[in-house]
Amino acid sequence: MTARTGIGLLLGLCLGLSVVRGDFSCGTLASKKTPITFWNGFTGPDGRVMLEMIRDFNRENPDVEVTMQRIPWALYYNKVMVSGLDGRGPDVFVIHASALTRMQRAGVLAPMDSLFESAIPADDFDPYVVEQTKFEGKRYCVPLDIHPQGMFLNKDMLRAAGLSAAPKNREEFLRAAKVMKSSETFGFALTAWQNNFMSLLPQFDGHYMGADGKVDLDCPGNVEALEFLGSLKSKYDLIPPPDNQLGWVGYRQKKVGMVWDGIYMLGDLLRLEGMNYAGAPIPVIGKHAGTLADSHTLCFRPGMGATQREASERFVKYLSANSLRWAGAGQVPARRSVRETPEFKKMQVQAAFAEQIPTMMYFPRIPVLFEMGIEVNLAVEKVIRGRATAKEALKIADENTQMAMDRDAEQHKKVVTP
Amino acid sequence: MTWKKRQQLTGYLFLAPYALSFLVFLVLPILVALVLSVMQFDLTATEQIKFIGTQNFTDAWKDDYVKQAMIATARYVLLFVPSLLVLSLAMAVGLNAVKKGRNVFRGMIFLPGIFTIAVTAILWQFFYNLEFGFFNWVIKQFGGTAVPWLSEKSLAMPSIVLMSLWWLSGGTAVILLASLQQIPTMYHEAAALDGAGSWKTFSKITMPLIKPVLLFTVLTNTIGAFQMFPQASLLTQGGPELSTRGTVQYIYEIAFQQYRLGYAAAISWMLTAVIMVFGIVQFIAMRRNSAQ
Repeated sequence: MTARTGIGLLLGLCLGLSVVRGDFSCGTLASKKTPITFWNGFTGPDGRVMLEMIRDFNRENPDVEVTMQRIPWALYYNKVMVSGLDGRGPDVFVIHASALTRMQRAGVLAPMDSLFESAIPADDFDPYVVEQTKFEGKRYCVPLDIHPQGMFLNKDMLRAAGLSAAPKNREEFLRAAKVMKSSETFGFALTAWQNNFMSLLPQFDGHYMGADGKVDLDCPGNVEALEFLGSLKSKYDLIPPPDNQLGWVGYRQKKVGMVWDGIYMLGDLLRLEGMNYAGAPIPVIGKHAGTLADSHTLCFRPGMGATQREASERFVKYLSANSLRWAGAGQVPARRSVRETPEFKKMQVQAAFAEQIPTMMYFPRIPVLFEMGIEVNLAVEKVIRGRATAKEALKIADENTQMAMDRDAEQHKKVVTP
Repeated sequence: MTWKKRQQLTGYLFLAPYALSFLVFLVLPILVALVLSVMQFDLTATEQIKFIGTQNFTDAWKDDYVKQAMIATARYVLLFVPSLLVLSLAMAVGLNAVKKGRNVFRGMIFLPGIFTIAVTAILWQFFYNLEFGFFNWVIKQFGGTAVPWLSEKSLAMPSIVLMSLWWLSGGTAVILLASLQQIPTMYHEAAALDGAGSWKTFSKITMPLIKPVLLFTVLTNTIGAFQMFPQASLLTQGGPELSTRGTVQYIYEIAFQQYRLGYAAAISWMLTAVIMVFGIVQFIAMRRNSAQ
């Protein structure tokens, strides 16, 4: 074998290995930096902000190399789950607080108590948010942000209708929806039915689970909330006929004056030109203020070595401490100290949505959350279409979700209890 | 090694890449799915994985959502396959009769089939949009009221079928046209000399001669229709009220959103059984018909 053939074979081997590994580091060519893989579903403008934060972290920490992989949320959880089970998961990854129960049960999350003890002040988070991170007394993630549902308004439509401020209660809301309605426009439209409904539950003292641990979707508060949502069509005729995703599309097209949606939709508006929008808390429709919320949380995979764990902790600490930049991508930081900065308070939509944090309610922490979501969505759809009363629709949703809970408990012999 | 054996070995070597991919990507997953279907296999509780015999199948038999998905699938198959056959055959006969500009028309008919389903669905979402859609705009121009194409239970599935016909009928028409062009012209000339009318010529000569190709298109399109997923998933997300959620979409949700792979595999096998029964019945019926 000639020297040239030998080098050729070696390069071929390196190239082959790099293709199999999915990167281009090989043997002695690899740097001495500690590599950290970071996965998330931030495929929109928020991903660009995250990428800039990672570049800065890598520059400030020359011994660490964080590489980010963005995967659309629709595919993301499958990949995290399967790779995590196989021990090939990313070192650091983003999980919604609502998905933690399943992920923790699957064993793809590592406890992160040491990080709270050493680098991140736990008292800088709202106690309710911290509770979402705990399973059997251990913390499994660091909340990066909070994304409450809130109200987006078209300020031009509001002004043209003679209104000077966002509606704050039921009467103002109904009046605003009415005066902004015309043959070409609607004052209000539903977006994600399930989330629109769940946003009202805390306002009516509704809940998902009863004190006995059973599903209680047809409790009086939930029924009242759904009755109100149904009445927007059946009684007041204020919303468009139900059709797929009409609400947000209509809002973007300036044909809908108000919608309720998550703060994460702000990224979509930031890209629009000529849209005069504002954010506001969801009006008090029920007995008091309240809304639905969730969080992006930062998690570690189990089984990391000491060096990699230290580098990962440094990275998570950096993201958490610099979450004001993350807020710029259209998010509400989970850290209270960040939300109290003058810079954050200047962010009109984020700050308005953040006002709701003391009264927000997260999704229930049950392993069959997906199944419950399908049932709740179906119940809301039936009521909006006038095919069932709120009580009837929620009773069916309640029974079916309880059946899924029972099946899950029977198959797994224990249901995860926070 | 003899020349004959060497020839054989060469043949096997040419077949090897496909045989290998067939084993790895088809036979192996089928076997894995078979094993999964008799297991309690939930990715969120891997320590609880165990053999449970036919439990997944009995659970699926009792699952109202499986029934609902099977009914939605059956509705799609029953609406789509006959419509596709009639439409494609009509287009193929029309193309066969046209002498001038046949290639242009063939290209136009075939064009929708080259779009991906995502592009097709986005286009048809615009057509069907209740407030701003093209179809309702046309209806309104004639003084009519907007039709809830995708949000009315009775209309949603036919609307999906209409989109699928637009998307897929061109390809089938081109296949049928090729078979029509294989028929020697002397048969039609002889029939004309004997005084046969156009319907008699079509039913007694054309149809019997293209029956093998018809059998092929019916079989492949029936199998494809039973596997309907992206059409409904993209256009209606399975709504309204889950009325267009087909079996494959339900299997996808169970496997990749609920992570219950064992249960999903069992429903997959049930669907496979249904497809096989339909396929065999169609095959026998059409072969018998051809023989007659």
